[in-house]
Amino acid sequence: MSAPSDVDAGAPAAAAWHYDGRSALRRQVRLIVEGDGFRLDEDGRAGAWQAFAQLTPADGDGNARTFGLQGQPGWRIGFIGPVPAEIAVRLPRARRYGGWVDRFGLWRAAAAFAVLAAVAVALVLQTPALVARMVPASLERRLGEVMVGDFGRKGCVEPVGTAALAKLANRIDPDDPTLEVHVVKLPMVNAVTLPGGRIVIFDGLLQAARSPDEVAGVIGHEIGHVRGRDVMESLLRQLGLSVLLGGMEGHVGGYTNALLATAYSRGAEARADGYAIRLLADARVSPLPTAAFFDRLAKGNASGERMFAYIANHPLSADRAARFRRSAAGDAHYVPAIDTAEWLALRGICAGETDKMEWRF
Amino acid sequence: MTDQTSADTRAFRFTGTWQAYAPIAFTNLLLMIVTLGLYTFWARARTRRYLWSRTRFIDDRLEWTGSGLELFIGYVIAFFLFVLPFGLVNLGLQSAMMHGHPGAAGLLAILMYLTALYLIGVARFRALRYRLSRTLWHGIRGGSDAQGFAYGWSYFWKTFVSFLTIYLMTPWSMARLWNERWNAMSFGSLSFRSAARWQPVFGRFLLFYLLPVALVVAFGAMAAVMATNGVLDHTPGSVPTAKTVVTIVAAGLAFYVFFFGVLGLVAMTYFAAFFREAVGATSLGTLQFGFEASTRDWVLFYLGSLALVIVTFGVGAIFLPYRNWTFFIRHLAAYGEVELDTLLQSHTRAPGQGEGMLDAFDVGAF
Repeated sequence: MSAPSDVDAGAPAAAAWHYDGRSALRRQVRLIVEGDGFRLDEDGRAGAWQAFAQLTPADGDGNARTFGLQGQPGWRIGFIGPVPAEIAVRLPRARRYGGWVDRFGLWRAAAAFAVLAAVAVALVLQTPALVARMVPASLERRLGEVMVGDFGRKGCVEPVGTAALAKLANRIDPDDPTLEVHVVKLPMVNAVTLPGGRIVIFDGLLQAARSPDEVAGVIGHEIGHVRGRDVMESLLRQLGLSVLLGGMEGHVGGYTNALLATAYSRGAEARADGYAIRLLADARVSPLPTAAFFDRLAKGNASGERMFAYIANHPLSADRAARFRRSAAGDAHYVPAIDTAEWLALRGICAGETDKMEWRF
Repeated sequence: MTDQTSADTRAFRFTGTWQAYAPIAFTNLLLMIVTLGLYTFWARARTRRYLWSRTRFIDDRLEWTGSGLELFIGYVIAFFLFVLPFGLVNLGLQSAMMHGHPGAAGLLAILMYLTALYLIGVARFRALRYRLSRTLWHGIRGGSDAQGFAYGWSYFWKTFVSFLTIYLMTPWSMARLWNERWNAMSFGSLSFRSAARWQPVFGRFLLFYLLPVALVVAFGAMAAVMATNGVLDHTPGSVPTAKTVVTIVAAGLAFYVFFFGVLGLVAMTYFAAFFREAVGATSLGTLQFGFEASTRDWVLFYLGSLALVIVTFGVGAIFLPYRNWTFFIRHLAAYGEVELDTLLQSHTRAPGQGEGMLDAFDVGAF
């Protein structure tokens, strides 16, 4: 196998196996150094000259003594015995982690990536609050139209009830003529603010409420969301987080996303409560019924709520109740938000046919 | 060198250990966390390099030549071609619902589902082609000249036929698709040939297919017996006794566990048989493959993986690729010879990027 020719006499050489990438035959060769490169000598026949710089690195976790050749897929060489130092120094370093991590080392690269990741997360979490306020209200309204259409407006339209609702909304926030509040016939105790600042109250909440002042507190809270541009902010944050965490394996990314987003939504909820408290005080509507409303919610799921406080997107109902109760001024003269007849009309706003579904293309 | 026939040496052998893989798994996890998941693609490439390099076939190791960058580019392409458009269509769908066009929304959803069905077929084919093209043995790689678009149609209508026959023709479509996929693949100058049949596994499939019906009937009969014996006696309007509630809840829970436990077990007997049939019907040149995992092996493998993930609170999931690969190699057999001097390099076009579409649809390996 080692039949030295005149050419390589004295040049550093090493025994190796070789695949040429064209056939599956395993060849026994000698690698003989020649200048900046080498030739593979098989049974005394020297092959083509190749530059050491053309060798591609081996896998650091696998056989660290095998190498490929650039531009020749399947070409492989592996050393059998000891590799002379003159050859070893010219071989490329094995790759292990890939790209930058191999270059900087595992720990330095990990630290650098961690810093970059923290900055990216902080940016994505913090900027929506600023950007949301810069989005023109008209654009947000159009976005809302595209996303949810007139979902909110297709709600309950019983005329006397509608008038009572308008009066209630005007009582809490007399300064905003563009305010849109609607009721939809859904049996959930909830109210939402849609993108574009439209407030939707579910009929289930009207039925669960014991006085118009409770509904006033809820509407005040939703107005707080509209003023805070909270919906736009949360949309932007969701978008940012889903792009940022998109590379994570399915569930992990989803959970991280939800956890970060809800932490912010609790802050927004607390601010909206503060806004509602101010509106109620200005309108001279008592905050105590709203507090009682939250108390009743808290009783429904007391122990569970405390347990899941960190993953809930709303603050604890009991804490919210306490906050509304504290805001009541002892000497204030409170007036019911609307009178009894109007309250009855409001609760009947969903009477009649409202949930007809048509197939339209 | 061609002979490898002594009875106790297996053609495929795995020489790695989980202890040796652990540093790879944990550094992968660390880098995935600090890069917010971006490193996933490089982690996958490194895992495969390790697993392939510790897998011997006859006289030499396999080598994985794919890179993290390829997988990443594949993902980016899939994102812009599929994830993004599908996300937008989904938004449109929600919007159509909200605007009160349930008909249009339904039509859009069906179109989206059908498109996804076709694309999953294409993705399965291309993932296999990519993996073969990045697998090296004796310096020779595999591949396919087909791009997978025709396979996508085949997958589409066969899945649809299976659906139309209330899934009775599932074994038929699975066997046919396996054959089509592998008959389009090659390794070096040799072509894969596969002639898997659905008939041998149909009995086990029927067992799986009819079992839920039998279980529901049995449960119904049991409930009827209990009712006539007065266990469930309960006058409308009155509060049921604690004993009744406990009995009903316990029975429901037992049924749930039994139903899915037994169903999973029977599904496994079908799957084990299908895999034995499919791999056993596949050959490369004069080389005949076989897969020797019994139902028991599959069940133990599955339970082991489940236990590993649960006991370690999820961290053990980083060892699942290792487990999957070793299970596969441990049971994979090959008989016959490879004539090395006639095995030449593949001339199929090697795909430029990784299995991004498969990632996008969240479809598993093989």
